[in-house]
Amino acid sequence: MKHGKLGARGRIGALVASLAVVSLVASACSSSDGGSDAATGTESAAETTAEESAASEDPIRIGISLPLTGDFSQPGGEAQKGYNAWAAVTNANGGLLGRQVELVVLDDASSQEQVVTDYNRLINEEKVDLLLGTFSSLLNYPASAVAENNEMVLIAPAGGSPKIFEQNFKYYFFAQQATAPNQANPFVATIAALPDDQKPKTAAYAIQDDPFAAPVIESMQAQLEAMGVETVYSEMYPPETTNFQPLASAIAAAKPDLVAQGAVFEDGVNLVKSMIQVGFSPNILFQTSAPSNGAQFTDAIGTGNQDGIFYAVSWSEKAPTPGNAEFLAEYEAQNGPGIPAEDAADAYAAAEVLAAAVTATGGLDNPTIMEWLHANPVTTILGELSWDEIGRPQGEFLLAQWQGDTVNIVAPAIAATTDSITMPKPAWK
Amino acid sequence: MQIVQVLAYGILLGGIYALLASGVTLIFGVLDVVNVAQGAFLVFSALFTWQIWDMFGIEPLLLIPVMGAMMGLIGWAIYRGMLIRVAPQGPGMTVLLMFGVALTMEGILNLGFGNKFKSVTPAYFTQSLNIGEIVLPYPQLISGVLAIVVLGAIYAYLRFSWAGRALRASSQNRDGAALVGISHKKAAGFAFAIGAATAGVGGVLLAIMYPIFPATHYEWIARLLGVVVLGGFGSIPGAIIAALLLGTMESFAATFVPQWAPLFFYGTILLILVFRPQGIMGSKTREDVA
Repeated sequence: MKHGKLGARGRIGALVASLAVVSLVASACSSSDGGSDAATGTESAAETTAEESAASEDPIRIGISLPLTGDFSQPGGEAQKGYNAWAAVTNANGGLLGRQVELVVLDDASSQEQVVTDYNRLINEEKVDLLLGTFSSLLNYPASAVAENNEMVLIAPAGGSPKIFEQNFKYYFFAQQATAPNQANPFVATIAALPDDQKPKTAAYAIQDDPFAAPVIESMQAQLEAMGVETVYSEMYPPETTNFQPLASAIAAAKPDLVAQGAVFEDGVNLVKSMIQVGFSPNILFQTSAPSNGAQFTDAIGTGNQDGIFYAVSWSEKAPTPGNAEFLAEYEAQNGPGIPAEDAADAYAAAEVLAAAVTATGGLDNPTIMEWLHANPVTTILGELSWDEIGRPQGEFLLAQWQGDTVNIVAPAIAATTDSITMPKPAWK
Repeated sequence: MQIVQVLAYGILLGGIYALLASGVTLIFGVLDVVNVAQGAFLVFSALFTWQIWDMFGIEPLLLIPVMGAMMGLIGWAIYRGMLIRVAPQGPGMTVLLMFGVALTMEGILNLGFGNKFKSVTPAYFTQSLNIGEIVLPYPQLISGVLAIVVLGAIYAYLRFSWAGRALRASSQNRDGAALVGISHKKAAGFAFAIGAATAGVGGVLLAIMYPIFPATHYEWIARLLGVVVLGGFGSIPGAIIAALLLGTMESFAATFVPQWAPLFFYGTILLILVFRPQGIMGSKTREDVA
């Protein structure tokens, strides 16, 4: 007789099946650093594809894989809006090389395995003419290997982890001002320039184990320690951490003058909320990424609590850079009122870089585009970008600070939108 | 005092995990279905809570009965519309079906709410109850207390009501229950509805604690399955004990060795399963050959 309740075999079957699903999900959302071995596309399709399509009047097809679902779907969706805005502006202005542009976008589900499949498919099956990068170092790391193997230029809107550049690739370009370890430099310089009585004596560092966020804060910690700022707390936490009250309590117990967090978004919000809950407000607070999400950030931590928070940023809506007004207008036309997220602007800039190289070289030959980008700077809505021999940008990031309800660029001086800094950070509202 | 503080965080967190996992284990106990869509149910409820709160400014906790009923109805419809047809194919197929349901719900939520984090921020969302040096954040405290209330209600219902007894009877011996007039299909539909309703309640509580966006469900289902496996599939008391244990372990790890917190969470599960493969309160079962 078969029991009504599932027997041992059935239970094991159910468990195995559910674990299989969970591991599938886990691999889809994996945060591991490895994974480029699967990048096995070998056929060099770039040259032939470029020659064939250049002869036609068909649109120039640009292949992009983005995390439109899964863990990174929030920034991935913003990046897609940036790419779409660029395509609309470009097409309205006559296209590239006199041809319209068409974006071929695939969803990589925030998976390192799927992003490899996507770029191989874009190159070998979709036969796209050009590529643009996906979002985050985590996904651009394996994607860069596919592009390199196929000798196709990959310009990434996000992907400044040192790990990517350790590969010494020629076809990968990071389209922001600086790599991750250099992003905090303007903040460190700002701290160094403070009067002695305002300089922090102690600092706490909470760092997400993320290939982009971690190097920013680790570099900052080393620089501040060299300046004599004592580290009283420094811990790395895994990306899946959701409960930050224990961390906030531990940080509060250490009483640091300065708190720096290598955050993505949710963790940045949760640490701020937890610090408010435990009644600790540091004099200086720096976070990566999270504060750059505008209303999503201020809504999540409670309007008013953002006042005084610093973050490194690549773009400002107030910047008088060429094309910025056009980007803002097109973004609003497509998505309604509101300030674009930095991720959208970064994607727009990455596409501008590609367009500049195509225009300057007069064709779609990827090796030629690659050579040109290594030798020439490009003006974008982020400002002027240039790269070294392995695609590392050579510029300086901007230091932004929430001041009341608005964001101001406070460093470097040449890009500053205000000459005042809110210091110390006002108490939580 | 730090130990007491960490313990308090852990117990509150464990209470919330217990509520969220209770639906998964109840559904498994009656239907033999591992509901991997429970995380998606949670996020579905959380985002609708945000929508109503954002539009009308209603105190989110007042939405608990509404969200519980809504998710209960959705759960019942999923059972009657899909699961009832797939269940005879075996547990593997039902897991795949529920995974499909989860992905579909994520897609619907992406379309409806966009890829943006939504946050419900009532006045108390950053406030805490201070007892001496011990800090109890109100969102966690309220959620922990409500979790106890809801779990108590479910337990009392299963234990003392006729319908609850029928559910337990059907869970323990489907054929025997049928002999005394209990329809397994009705019991299973009802159990699935209650399980989904707990996700409706849990979604409201998640919404006042964390920013939510559609893909958040992946994080939650992995944890909930961990709790259910440790507690013993099908055992609500087991899920409660496991949730409290894991919540406390996670809290201690986050305080003293944050980088190793997942290792503590899953390592605890692994260690206990080595010595008790059926979980803390699970019972060893066998399947006789017909």
